[in-house]
Amino acid sequence: MAAPVLAPAEPAVATAPGSGPGGLRRRLSGRRTRFGLLNATPIVVYLLVLFVYPIFSTLLLSVEGEDGGFTLHWYADALQGTNLDILLATLRISAETSLLSLVIGFLLAYWITRLRPLWAGLVMLVVVVPHFISALVRTYGWIILLGDHGLVNEALVGLNVPGAPFALLYNEIGVVIGTTSVMLPYTVLLLYAVMRGVDRGLTAAAASMGAGRLVTFRRVYLPLVAPGLVNASVLCFILCLGYYVTPALMGGPKQTMVAALIDEQVMKDNQWNGASALGVILLLLTFAGLLLLQLFKKVGMARRNRGAA
Amino acid sequence: MIGLRNSVTGRIVLTILSLLVLLFLALPIVLIVVTSFGSDALGSFPPESWTLGWYQQVFADDSKWPAALSLSAMVAAMTTVFSVALGMTAAIALVRSELPLRSAVYGLVLAPLVIPQVVIALGMFLLFEPASMLGSPIAIALGHTVLASPIAVMIIMATLKGIDERLEDAAASMGAGRLTIARRITFPMAAPGVVAAAVFSFITSFDEFFISQFLSSVDTTTLPVQVFNVLQYDVDPSVTAVAALLIAVAILALAVVGVVRRLGSDKQSGLLPVETGISAGGETR
Repeated sequence: MAAPVLAPAEPAVATAPGSGPGGLRRRLSGRRTRFGLLNATPIVVYLLVLFVYPIFSTLLLSVEGEDGGFTLHWYADALQGTNLDILLATLRISAETSLLSLVIGFLLAYWITRLRPLWAGLVMLVVVVPHFISALVRTYGWIILLGDHGLVNEALVGLNVPGAPFALLYNEIGVVIGTTSVMLPYTVLLLYAVMRGVDRGLTAAAASMGAGRLVTFRRVYLPLVAPGLVNASVLCFILCLGYYVTPALMGGPKQTMVAALIDEQVMKDNQWNGASALGVILLLLTFAGLLLLQLFKKVGMARRNRGAA
Repeated sequence: MIGLRNSVTGRIVLTILSLLVLLFLALPIVLIVVTSFGSDALGSFPPESWTLGWYQQVFADDSKWPAALSLSAMVAAMTTVFSVALGMTAAIALVRSELPLRSAVYGLVLAPLVIPQVVIALGMFLLFEPASMLGSPIAIALGHTVLASPIAVMIIMATLKGIDERLEDAAASMGAGRLTIARRITFPMAAPGVVAAAVFSFITSFDEFFISQFLSSVDTTTLPVQVFNVLQYDVDPSVTAVAALLIAVAILALAVVGVVRRLGSDKQSGLLPVETGISAGGETR
């Protein structure tokens, strides 16, 4: 669950090769390289065998016909009829979730940057602890909360909200609520890291030169945190794409996501090729998202360089 | 300063909304813990009367939970061993040596965290099914290690980076051998990081659902798979107590990491930055 952030780029490595002072370092370099290779081998071999190779075989299986020849018809199957609907529902739910997480996460992260350190630490604890609690368990909590006689509906009825009780479970509202609550800690952590880096002097300077609050926010603050917003929303979107537990437990038939379809094809229909094609499509969508992030980063950097020059 | 900050109403609105968001995060968890002690395990809140009955049911003789629990614990223990071993060597290679293709290796290590888990699980299934290893605890642990080891690598890397390399150089200059340095200097200083890596590997495996789901068989299901099945197919009120136990394990794990970090007086406080890779921004606590 806890995916790393690809962006902020790994800071300069501890041991910059060749920069060490004096000859001792250099003489060691051959030995250091051998030492490095020796230590890197276990995890590289492990991941090649248990991570890269299986994904590669998925790739092969997705273009293998029943007769063993090359075919693209599994992809054609995946991109039409019900399967296409499921793919589109996956994209839709992922988009809704990442948008909602972004808005709520922005609010919360901004608030935390304004708190005193002690309070900020306590609030961060409320954000982080759920992050380490099984998503399955949190989803179950929402199922209890959102039922017809759950706490949420009881409260709404108690407040005489017109239309209550609402159907909040086994539909898209339920899925988006549940998935957002699972993704939110992650989004908040990403946003908070960026917002904390904003130099308060800049917004103060803008205000001192007569910029109104809205202008300061739009012209100074927002551009400063924009890279973080893009980063958080795209990563959240990517994580949602392959997500299974919450949609499967809280959604109706219209909220079936690709991961559930893959599960069904493997476990019930024994249809490995079709499942592989779906998996590869998810993989491609993920890569597209990561590429997009790289692109944004480059554009942002180019713009900053131009600004500096 | 900006927008809401200067106006009192704005500040109050922001605070109220933020508290609601915190409630949104905490409520499902609090609710489960409270409900698990209520006599009506699936229903009203707050419960009308209290009981420990669901916990007794979980550990009753005819219960299917203990088997799942012990399988999960065993798998998580194996995963921890694999993941810490891989994580230590990999972190040493990435931080303490000159590694050709370093960024490629680092990319490979991080990749399992962004690739959709369903794809990893499917690949695992295709690997282990022909070997008729489905349902084998080792297969599940090997699968979980793919997800756990990147986290272990990141945590141990952060710890190693925090250790001043000059200490090792100093020991070397005074004649300490490579093994002595590792045993007397590096390892004691890295120990809190290694413990944190072990705890997070354990909890990653203990809570992992998707790979277990693909690799388990009818009579070997891990705890999360069992919970999922109960939630999806048959209603068993004791599941609430199991969910509460899972919460307790996670919080206990975080507490252990917190205590160890404090004892190791590791100033670049680990949890947040390490877990999410935002260490670039500095530390949080």
